[in-house]
Amino acid sequence: MTLRSVKTPLLEVSGLCTTFGAGDTSVPAVRDVGFTINKGEIIGLVGESGSGKSVTLRSILGLSRRYGGTTGSALWRGENLVTLPESDMRRIRGGEIAMIFQEPMTSLNPLLTVGVQIDETLKAHTDMSAGERKKRAIEMLDVVGIPAAGSRLSEFPHQFSGGMRQRVMIAIALAARPKLLLADEPTTALDVTIQAQILDLILSLAKDFDMGVILVTHDLGVVAQTCEQVAVMYAGRIVEQGSVRSVLREPRHPYTVGLMRSVPQNVPPRTPLYSIPGTPPSLLSLPDGCAFAARCPQKTVGCETGRPELETLNGGRSVACFNRVEAKGGAAA
Amino acid sequence: MSEAVLEIRDVSLAFKGKRSVLDVLSNTPVKNVNALNGVSLDLRQGETLGVVGESGCGKSTLARCIVRLHEPNGGSVHFYGMDVFASHERGDRTYNRRVQMMFQDPYSSLNPRMTTGQILSEALRVHGMCPEDEVPARLANLMDLVQLPGDALEKYPHEFSGGQRQRIAIARALAVEPEVLIADELVSALDVSVQAQIVNLLLDLQDRLGLTILFVAHDLRLVRHMSNRVAVIYLGRIVEIGDSETLFASPSHPYSQALLSAAPSLDPDDKGRKIHLEGELPSPLDIPPGCPFHVRCRHKSPKCTTELPKLRPIAGRGSVACHHAEEIENV
Repeated sequence: MTLRSVKTPLLEVSGLCTTFGAGDTSVPAVRDVGFTINKGEIIGLVGESGSGKSVTLRSILGLSRRYGGTTGSALWRGENLVTLPESDMRRIRGGEIAMIFQEPMTSLNPLLTVGVQIDETLKAHTDMSAGERKKRAIEMLDVVGIPAAGSRLSEFPHQFSGGMRQRVMIAIALAARPKLLLADEPTTALDVTIQAQILDLILSLAKDFDMGVILVTHDLGVVAQTCEQVAVMYAGRIVEQGSVRSVLREPRHPYTVGLMRSVPQNVPPRTPLYSIPGTPPSLLSLPDGCAFAARCPQKTVGCETGRPELETLNGGRSVACFNRVEAKGGAAA
Repeated sequence: MSEAVLEIRDVSLAFKGKRSVLDVLSNTPVKNVNALNGVSLDLRQGETLGVVGESGCGKSTLARCIVRLHEPNGGSVHFYGMDVFASHERGDRTYNRRVQMMFQDPYSSLNPRMTTGQILSEALRVHGMCPEDEVPARLANLMDLVQLPGDALEKYPHEFSGGQRQRIAIARALAVEPEVLIADELVSALDVSVQAQIVNLLLDLQDRLGLTILFVAHDLRLVRHMSNRVAVIYLGRIVEIGDSETLFASPSHPYSQALLSAAPSLDPDDKGRKIHLEGELPSPLDIPPGCPFHVRCRHKSPKCTTELPKLRPIAGRGSVACHHAEEIENV
């Protein structure tokens, strides 16, 4: 959106690579990922399972350190999160940058009350007194739309429904007023009606607290309805990036085109759907050339030998493809 | 209108709640989970009937009732006029063969210690589908049908991706030459591009083999694409049923309207006309009196809080269970 008056970069990620495994097997889960997120902005990361979306989020917060190596940079207030020592990371994690996970049941401690779990975050990241913390905890449950917040603080996660648990997760994540929220498939396990409520909640919180959000999802509809920017990932790399409007209306990478066409929208019912032929390549044996070449309808000889770099076009679009799909020339689909 | 293959009448099912020692001592009444509360529908020859609703509304329970994995407390299921729950039919395995179920989770519904070949030939043998010497040919034919390579027969389930496992599940169901397939969230665990492949496979198989499909899913776009007719379920009751295109283009029940409008559109500018549902699905332990939807409904009147609306046909649309179906504007 060019009309935005001032943009302040919050987090600048560049050249982020994460590799798992040791010895002879190494799995390049994330390769050369870069993006910038501004205050109050919501960025979507989309792709199929195994494309590296979640690992990207985890690498930013240093959660994948134990299992693999991360290189590159993630600049946060002048500090590179990738090389930051674990002790400093703990200060930021949960405080300035918070994360919510896909499965609210496995991410909440079943043995602690919701109140204790919110309090934990506040204790670690703020200097509030016990009374203030309790007040904030009630306020947070209220903000995320849990009725009778005061009395529910003493309840355990199993006493909440799926949607309510996800709200509790969001309340915990937002309790210390983070400036950046990493949301890993926050609504995938929920019903559409609850999904709509949770997405609206994230949208309004981003606006109210001027918080940046990175939203990982595989649902293009969710991206269309909540994000301003989107990055499409394939086999660990970003293959297309730009504003949601332009990417979804006029995808230029053949993979994005395929993804959009696989969604049954505006196609006659009960007709065959478009599907991308083949399956994603194994990360253990990625081809030298473009990882998508084997499934690509626009493949040429060069695609199998050379790998296309992410190239910036005008209008803030970047596409990593030798044979970009032509723009439709402004006409809306 | 083609013949009804399955006639489901007033099926209800309540799961008995657990009672702790304390409950018994304090004489608290047993709470039952009312999963199905009188569902009636016909599954017609050769059609795909989509079933949608939020989790916990009873759509999977309905699917499981149809294949006799649960026995309903009330109501009946007739298959070509035969009562499938009648006592003398219980031992009858032909029904199990003719109506096959496919499950959501491709990781837990295949035996991890059996190869694909063993899984499929077991189905063939149990039902005595073909003589022993014809089994290999039949297996090859099945692999062909679900578009898996022939060497897949020697492999174990863990060697396949999610989409391939669902193909094996489909092959297992098709091995016994069923007439009806019950697909419970068959593609929900898969990525969009793989989903499209499985949906295409189902459409193609239905066309070639003349299958009747009950397609249970929560992805509304997919259900719209797959189905001829759609039933919307809320708290164990059908609130609206009708032709798929009519229902999706102009839903009549306030719940269908809210459910359909909650599905996020692919168009970033299409943000309008969202109907927000307040609150969540009430617990099936404690279903509200009257119309079970009235606690979340924008159009409720005093009548809704006391009287249960019946499913009734509305001119030009399907059948709707709402007292105010005529007055409520289509959206």
